[in-house]
Amino acid sequence: MSEAEVDGKPASIEEATECAAAILSRARLPVIAGLGTDIAGIRGSIALAERLHGAYDHMHSARIFSDLDVLRQFGLMFTTPNEARLRADVLLCVGPDLTRVWPQLFERLAPGELPVFDLAQQKRKIVWIAPEPGLGEIAGVPVVPIEAPDLVTTLGGLRARVAERPVALDDAITQKLDAAADILRKARFGVAVWGGAALDKLSVEMLQGLVLDLNKTTRFTGLALGAESNAAGAVQASGWMTGFPMRTSFGRGYPDHDTWRFDATRLVESGEADAALWVSAYEAETPSWTRHVPLVALVPAEAHFAQPPAVRIDIGRPAVDHDGVDYSREAAAIVARKASHPSNKASVAAVLLRIAQQIGGAL
Amino acid sequence: MLVLLKGGRIVDPVHQRDEVGDIWIEESRIVAAPQGRQPDVTYDVSGKIVMAGAIDIHSHIAGGNVNTARLLLPELHRGHSPRSPALPLATGRWSTFETGCTYATMGFTTVVEPAVAPHQALQGHLELADVPILDKGALTILGNDDFLLGLLRDNENQAAITDYVASTLAATNGLGLKVINPGGATAFKYNARSFGLDDVVPFYGVTSRRIIEALQQAIMDLHVPHPLHLHCNNLGLPGNVETALATIEAARGKPLHFAHIQFYAYGSEGDLGFSSGAAELAAAINAHPNVTVDVGQAMFGQTVTISSDVLRQFNGVSTAKPRKSVIFDGDANGGGIVPYLYRETDVVNAIQWACGLELFLLVDDPWRVFFTTDHPNGAPFTTYPNLFALIMSRQARAEAVARQPQDAVALTTLSSIDREYTLNEIAIMTRASPAKLLGLTDRGHLAPGGLADIAVYTPDADIAKMFRAAHLVFKDGEVVVRDGRVTHYRWGKTLKVKPGYDPAIDRRLTGYYEQHYGLSHNMFAVPDHVLPHAEPFQEVACSR
Ligand SMILES: [Zn+2]
Repeated sequence: MSEAEVDGKPASIEEATECAAAILSRARLPVIAGLGTDIAGIRGSIALAERLHGAYDHMHSARIFSDLDVLRQFGLMFTTPNEARLRADVLLCVGPDLTRVWPQLFERLAPGELPVFDLAQQKRKIVWIAPEPGLGEIAGVPVVPIEAPDLVTTLGGLRARVAERPVALDDAITQKLDAAADILRKARFGVAVWGGAALDKLSVEMLQGLVLDLNKTTRFTGLALGAESNAAGAVQASGWMTGFPMRTSFGRGYPDHDTWRFDATRLVESGEADAALWVSAYEAETPSWTRHVPLVALVPAEAHFAQPPAVRIDIGRPAVDHDGVDYSREAAAIVARKASHPSNKASVAAVLLRIAQQIGGAL
Repeated sequence: MLVLLKGGRIVDPVHQRDEVGDIWIEESRIVAAPQGRQPDVTYDVSGKIVMAGAIDIHSHIAGGNVNTARLLLPELHRGHSPRSPALPLATGRWSTFETGCTYATMGFTTVVEPAVAPHQALQGHLELADVPILDKGALTILGNDDFLLGLLRDNENQAAITDYVASTLAATNGLGLKVINPGGATAFKYNARSFGLDDVVPFYGVTSRRIIEALQQAIMDLHVPHPLHLHCNNLGLPGNVETALATIEAARGKPLHFAHIQFYAYGSEGDLGFSSGAAELAAAINAHPNVTVDVGQAMFGQTVTISSDVLRQFNGVSTAKPRKSVIFDGDANGGGIVPYLYRETDVVNAIQWACGLELFLLVDDPWRVFFTTDHPNGAPFTTYPNLFALIMSRQARAEAVARQPQDAVALTTLSSIDREYTLNEIAIMTRASPAKLLGLTDRGHLAPGGLADIAVYTPDADIAKMFRAAHLVFKDGEVVVRDGRVTHYRWGKTLKVKPGYDPAIDRRLTGYYEQHYGLSHNMFAVPDHVLPHAEPFQEVACSR
């Protein structure tokens, strides 16, 4: 088994990193994409992007920015799974794929147990807008379903009914919304749980508007499920290192953030990026772009490419092959995790360090 | 290497020095003038002012809430300057890298991040690790956490509380303990919209007063040098000077540090029911030698308030400018991010500005009043040079006051105050006393044996100019700033205490976390080896 390949042929890690450095440093605008790695790998990626005057992006940016754009245009109220588990007397779930996004969601929020810190100690209630098929109850708690062919319209209708404003919807739907609005208004510490592909910026903004309205009289907050491959960790590390989230470029020497311009796929498809470094340590993901670009790939051995990348280096998985720090969805915090099956597979950070050393050192 | 700083005006209040003299440096330390040896490098600093590196005891420079503020406000920190190869990422405005460089440029060499939530401690330390040049410290937040509130509700003995504090400081690598609106954040989860010193946290039945008392005692029992660092109830409200006065009494003569006291110096006179209560508050501080305060000066301009006082931040959402805020019902405190614009023409803002200056000028003892803007809550730390000018020059104050609404000025005593801080008092307030307050015996002075953290300034009639860009700054004996420009990165330490305690509390915590959160308690630990630089911490002794 070889740990690296250059042009599809086995190579030593030295040869591979040397070749990677040459490809990336020759480029006018290299893009570091994927960014599925632990905090050390993200830190190395951003430092390398700066040195190369390149751009960086994360493979799950689209899902992250539907929340982040609402945060920075409108504001956000949110909480942690811990607080939802211990206090939420009402859960307002939004989106048909919550348990696909986070299979342990209801194990973690434990809706079947009484909320430990609730004063009334009553059974919890669950309202689900655009419910997952077949989930009539969760851990013995019946789900109040609200079908939503159009999420924004339904959320807008619910928001209007919570505020006791009229809606132009048919009576059956209005009655359902009224019943849900009544549950939400009576919540003591309600939590709106959202995530998944169905939620765009507008629906997140409408949901947050509803949360704000509810806080005029009671407590209500939100819980966004976010995305995989340490996307939330990438947002955080990028935030403190550059002031901005991913989709940031150093083409002008300072961090320049633009979610459209520095979308990695767009940069490659348009030909603006003339080399790419793809990083995916958690999943054997490969880039979604179709245009050919000189590619350096840091991926697990299982990753499959139709065309062999110019350089491919096998890497280990954070918290499996090596200790790793990443954003934990269950803790809603960046945490350190020990290797579960320590191996000598290289970490992304270690490989990036070798590449950086070829072109004048690392951070 | 032996380095000589020759012929500067040495201002070292710890050793009552204000005289022309030499400073010798060998490796990272200040040394006595060596007999019969020539310096390897000599800096002629004649005509310059030589002080120890400055220490900021309260500046929000790292952690989840600060990062949320960065992400909330991209429009406030767009870049413009090209990168310098020696200073990667320093042109990222509001990045940790820029923060370290800007502080160093002003002659600061140690900065304390005052609000690290235990469950967010690793992120806090990752961010601090990416602040170049400076030494850092973090204050760990307790006081709204369910475990502590449970101990208090169940009338557990002080020893259990003290062990819990020690265990949390150790796990989070804290330099001290902070309590923020004690009980108020938890009460907010039960829909309380205000919370005072003697209000009771629902579910737990304990008061803010009781929480303060228990944590203050724990810090004393553990001999942590820095007293309990308190962010009081009722921040920002008209008439809240009463809260501050009552809380000073609640300290019962024992050490207690009051954070950003300017935000509690408000009376309720005048047409708007908002006036300065700073003179009364300063008198109380003067009369209570157990109390230390930092000011949290407000300065005019755009900023963002970042606070773990989620209740107060929620109440401030309607004042946000730009109109967007983040309210985080996090584990324990959580926090809120509310952008804010302090306007010179606004009566309330002008009174706030005056309150801070009154406190600086009316608290007699420079050893007990600390120089802060509660960055960025009162103003970004980049306004420090202007603030030095205001407290050192009554003319600078008079010019500023003349621009303000006169009905605001009339509700303060500022115009009647003539005091001007001397350089020696500045050195006390920004060097000597912060080191003393935090238990940092190795810095804050210029005597042999001390760390060679040194700032050299060029005197200037323009006081702000003098403090904005130091002539030379040494960190651990190494030049890091020359002619107001950072030369290169080095990586400082994060200072922490490690008080001893009975490990039985850790077993209780393990059980509590599994039972309540379904998580392992040590999931939130901060292992040294995951931080980017070797040996990231330096221990500060808990004196016996
Ligand atoms: Zn503060």
